[in-house]
Amino acid sequence: MRRSSSPASSLPHIVSLFWLLVGISVNAADMTAEQRSFFESKIRPVLVKQCYECHSQEAKKLGGKLLLDAPSEMIAGGESGPAMIPGKPDESLIVQALRYDGLEMPPKKRLPEQVVNDFITWVKMGAPDPRVDAPKSAKKAVTTDKAALWSYQPVTNPRVPLVRNKEWPRHAIDSFVLAKLEAKSLSPTKDAAPEMLIRRVYFDLIGLPPSAGEVSAFVSRHLSFQQVVDELLESPHFGERWGRHWLDVARYAESNGNDGLSRNPSFPHAWRYRDYVIRAFNEDMPYDRFITEQIAGDLLPADSEAQRDRQLIATGFLAIGAKPAKAMNDNFEMDVVADQIGVIGHGIMGLSVGCARCHDHKTDPIPTRDYYALAGIFKSTETLWGAAAHQGLTAPQTPLHELKMAAKVAVRPEAEVIISKHEPRRPPAKPAFKYAADTPLAMGVREAKTVVDCKLNIDGESKKLGAPIPRGFLTACGGIDPGIQIDAKQSGRLQLAQWLTSKQHPQTARVMVNRVWQHLFGEGLVRTPDDFGITGERPTHPELLDHLATRFMSEGWSIKRLIRDIVLSRTYQLSSGNGDLQSPEAAENRLSLFGAHRVRRLDAEAVRDAMLAATGDLNPQPGQGSLIQHQNVLINELPPLHQPSTHRSVYLLMLRNSMPPELTPFNLPDAITVAGKRDTSTLATQSLYLLNNAFLVGQSKRFAARLMQVSDDTTTRIEAAYRQAFARKPTDSEMHSARDFIRETDLMLVSTQNDENKRLTDAWAAFCQALLASNELRYVD
Amino acid sequence: MNHLSRRQMLHTASCGFGYLAMSGIASAATADLTARAPRLRAKAQRVIFLNMGGGPAQMDTFDYKPQVGKKPHAGSIAEFKRRGQSGLWVSELLPNIARHADKLCVLNAMTADTSIHAQSMLQLHTGDRLRPCPSMGSWVAYGLGTENMNLPGFISFNTAKPAEYSAAQLPSVFGGTPIGVNGEDMSKATISNIYSDHLPMSVKRRQLDLIQAMNRDHLNVRADDAQLEGVIQTMELGFRMQAAAPDLLDLSQESKTTLERYRVGKNFAAGTCKASDFGRQCLLARRFCEAGVRFIEITHGSWDQHTDHRRDLTANCATTDAPIAALLDDLDERGLLEDTLVVWGGEFGRPGLTPGQDKDQTGHQHRAFTFWMAGGGVKAGHVHGSTDETGSNPVDGKVHFRDLHATILHLLGLDHENLAVVSGGRRIRLTGLQGGSVVREILA
Repeated sequence: MRRSSSPASSLPHIVSLFWLLVGISVNAADMTAEQRSFFESKIRPVLVKQCYECHSQEAKKLGGKLLLDAPSEMIAGGESGPAMIPGKPDESLIVQALRYDGLEMPPKKRLPEQVVNDFITWVKMGAPDPRVDAPKSAKKAVTTDKAALWSYQPVTNPRVPLVRNKEWPRHAIDSFVLAKLEAKSLSPTKDAAPEMLIRRVYFDLIGLPPSAGEVSAFVSRHLSFQQVVDELLESPHFGERWGRHWLDVARYAESNGNDGLSRNPSFPHAWRYRDYVIRAFNEDMPYDRFITEQIAGDLLPADSEAQRDRQLIATGFLAIGAKPAKAMNDNFEMDVVADQIGVIGHGIMGLSVGCARCHDHKTDPIPTRDYYALAGIFKSTETLWGAAAHQGLTAPQTPLHELKMAAKVAVRPEAEVIISKHEPRRPPAKPAFKYAADTPLAMGVREAKTVVDCKLNIDGESKKLGAPIPRGFLTACGGIDPGIQIDAKQSGRLQLAQWLTSKQHPQTARVMVNRVWQHLFGEGLVRTPDDFGITGERPTHPELLDHLATRFMSEGWSIKRLIRDIVLSRTYQLSSGNGDLQSPEAAENRLSLFGAHRVRRLDAEAVRDAMLAATGDLNPQPGQGSLIQHQNVLINELPPLHQPSTHRSVYLLMLRNSMPPELTPFNLPDAITVAGKRDTSTLATQSLYLLNNAFLVGQSKRFAARLMQVSDDTTTRIEAAYRQAFARKPTDSEMHSARDFIRETDLMLVSTQNDENKRLTDAWAAFCQALLASNELRYVD
Repeated sequence: MNHLSRRQMLHTASCGFGYLAMSGIASAATADLTARAPRLRAKAQRVIFLNMGGGPAQMDTFDYKPQVGKKPHAGSIAEFKRRGQSGLWVSELLPNIARHADKLCVLNAMTADTSIHAQSMLQLHTGDRLRPCPSMGSWVAYGLGTENMNLPGFISFNTAKPAEYSAAQLPSVFGGTPIGVNGEDMSKATISNIYSDHLPMSVKRRQLDLIQAMNRDHLNVRADDAQLEGVIQTMELGFRMQAAAPDLLDLSQESKTTLERYRVGKNFAAGTCKASDFGRQCLLARRFCEAGVRFIEITHGSWDQHTDHRRDLTANCATTDAPIAALLDDLDERGLLEDTLVVWGGEFGRPGLTPGQDKDQTGHQHRAFTFWMAGGGVKAGHVHGSTDETGSNPVDGKVHFRDLHATILHLLGLDHENLAVVSGGRRIRLTGLQGGSVVREILA
């Protein structure tokens, strides 16, 4: 999305008729007659003729929220800060603008030198002004409606509500949910059958299906649900599942994506951030610490080199964003800052702070000044994205963090074979920063050499500068520890992290508990997980949201405890059966109030992982490094780099605009913006994937080959296939259909395949593909 | 089970035509796309939507705003000429489209609700700028079925977001099939996984029957899940597409002259103007149109010219002009233009350049901008609606997206009032709660 043009330039030309508005009485008692006459003859006519069209109460569209028709307004200023500082012409925006110095006003034509000098003289005099302040219009009004601004209100700790059916709740969560249902005269559906529940909790917690043995251990009550949950929380697969959810928020990818000039440079070290995130979830790093490391890990003390490495890698969060090309882009530096503010705004606070880059936020109380207060923090920060494929037009080269303890990795032969065959279309520039081969490196940030406040960019243009804005945070989130002060010599990232993770911050905890809830139920308590602002949805259960947020913070920001709390509630353990109600409205209401669980399609990674698990091909070990490690290349110039892999999907090569073809059919996010919620649309292209994709075909063959080893008996093989794929026995009718299918397919293949063994294997592979392609594999109740 | 199924619900809510369309599905899962006669007399059978994303500069393409009066004002920077018998104003930047002036019906007073790209784009596609709703193409496919059972009713080239071609509350089988998502190389974009020879077709069919039987068993114990029902239908459609789509996507049999006329592969990139191989998109649109797809959307999403307006405008016009003209030529020559409605436009327009200011910059303008249509029952060589002298506000003949939607449906014989579904207690239609009006003045 481009910045909108200056409001002034799009204004139609109207005749000024503002004499009526201007006060005539004199209120400045100490104003001399000469001063008054100077103002009336030299200043007022110019203001009226040249400025009021856009900068007065009568303006059709107020430019930059600046009024020049009242003395106090000139000093108070607009979006760009004070228009004038009496006595200081060089620091006054109005003088700079008239001089066409950075800012250009009036936009049509520079005024004659004499007029500019008159204004300088006037400001020097102390800007004597006989005009009377007109009553303020509603020009700066954003809503003050507390209901609309719900997420800016402090988090409360609501009382657990009383419910009529006292038998039902097992947990405070249940009372909050039941109270809402009872208010609509609804009751929850039945509890989930154990087979349903075990499959649900496996996918939700580790993203993989339970094996037949694990299902029977639970169904036969050898293990309690709590035991199952605790085991899953300790599984190394937990971090792979929940880390991937965070990677969606962090817009994680291993290449820049199209920079607007069709170039897509690789990020050869981004995968270290992926591993950092997975580990953080596995170790249950407190969420406040997790945020702090990602924003200011380089500024935190470290007990060991290894810890220092980890904290440097964490700051990759701020460096892995998609950047527009540097070429012909004066705003490049501020575009990088915008990405950083965007990911913190949407990702951590659920606020679209980025809107305030060019104008005060249209709906939320986020003025442009607040945006540039944050921007100063990142302008005082150096972002280390690396070589950008040594293509200066895309981005200037930067150094990277050098790691001390991390394992060295070399280029991968599979990628090298492809890459070495290709000549770059444009010769790469010389590396500006040289590291010994295999040096472990990481993307990230560090303090800039100079720490500066950011000047406001008028209309978001970095060449149209307004007043410098002291570094700081969002004013509307108010009430947070005023002791958090930004040191003049520091960027302020550490303080930003402190501010975000303060227990008084109204959004941080709410946003995260809502994300967790959404991943466990298919919908959040707020259905727009990245937008808690006025344009987002309101929470369906505001009290429950606050209850969870309060607990989350008081229990040490532990994600695992939060998840454990929720999945042990009765609400989580409800059936997805919702067909027992008379009216569709009631059924829809019950579902949206969490009185029944949702039937959900697995996300792209879980679909692929479930297939690998079903065929027995899944390699449960973490994938090591990345196919493009230590390869600074333009992805767009190369043939696809993706290689077959049996590791979990989170370890596949995630290149912007060139995502793994095994995942793309099932609604992958583009990794350009924060994506807290994935789309789950059903498309004909997904059917084609299930019917024809080489990965699926290959997996079916391997699945079949394994079945052939199991036994010579068809019945035994079919039972094994169902156990592997769905952790259950086939029904009688399923057994019949499967036998018929194998027999008929074998006959149909006679004309094309003479070898009896191969023919039979093909028939079994076709059967296995049907299992992998069926809905039972991709949907969880 | 004592509950109303979704099908019954649609029946009892009886939204007129909506129900008729649904009953086709209820009778047999394979009959979902069957062509059906519309309720009203139809002038058009199908639509090709030329989606000009980003907001084309209407004052430099079709809404001529020369300088008038003493004071300079925002206006056209491109030269304009009167064209054809009709004397329609068309910019010199579009010399090939200008040849077709007598076929065009230009709407110069289009208006939208917002100048936020994503929201306005969504409203143009679905009628709603915030919540997910069915796309225009899905409504058309839902209302009319397909003329070719082996192809989807709605194909969407180079669209920015799935929400723009989503079936949303309609059965999934009416969702658009994307060819090339945003950022993909449109010279190569295809329908992924459309072909594989790992099994003979006969076995594939038998295999699909097994999958579908499993899916129906799975659905039967899960009450009435629209999502799962949708998968069953789209599995069937995906299977059938294997037979027809690969040939349609293969341009190797097209003559050199044809490829040249459409400028296939002649990519033009400058500034905002990104390579979209619009020629290939136009030629494929013709081929899918001939094959009986109801709604084909092709996209050149590069019109968001903020800085370097002149350079980018020239590039965007040059890259789309000849392909569109070739498409109109071919449709006309094959007699398809009579019952194919071609629609050109974007999510909003742009204000003109501020005069006297040495800046080559424009912004967004949603209050007044241009669309044009051709063929399928609209007046030819006709201009509807006008704007004030600076082109910033409509003067007469204002047409909102809702009215555009109502009109497109009307031309297809569909009544926007009644083409609706009820979902979660909410009645949903393309023209929304407010409803639109058919622009009768432009009907031929």
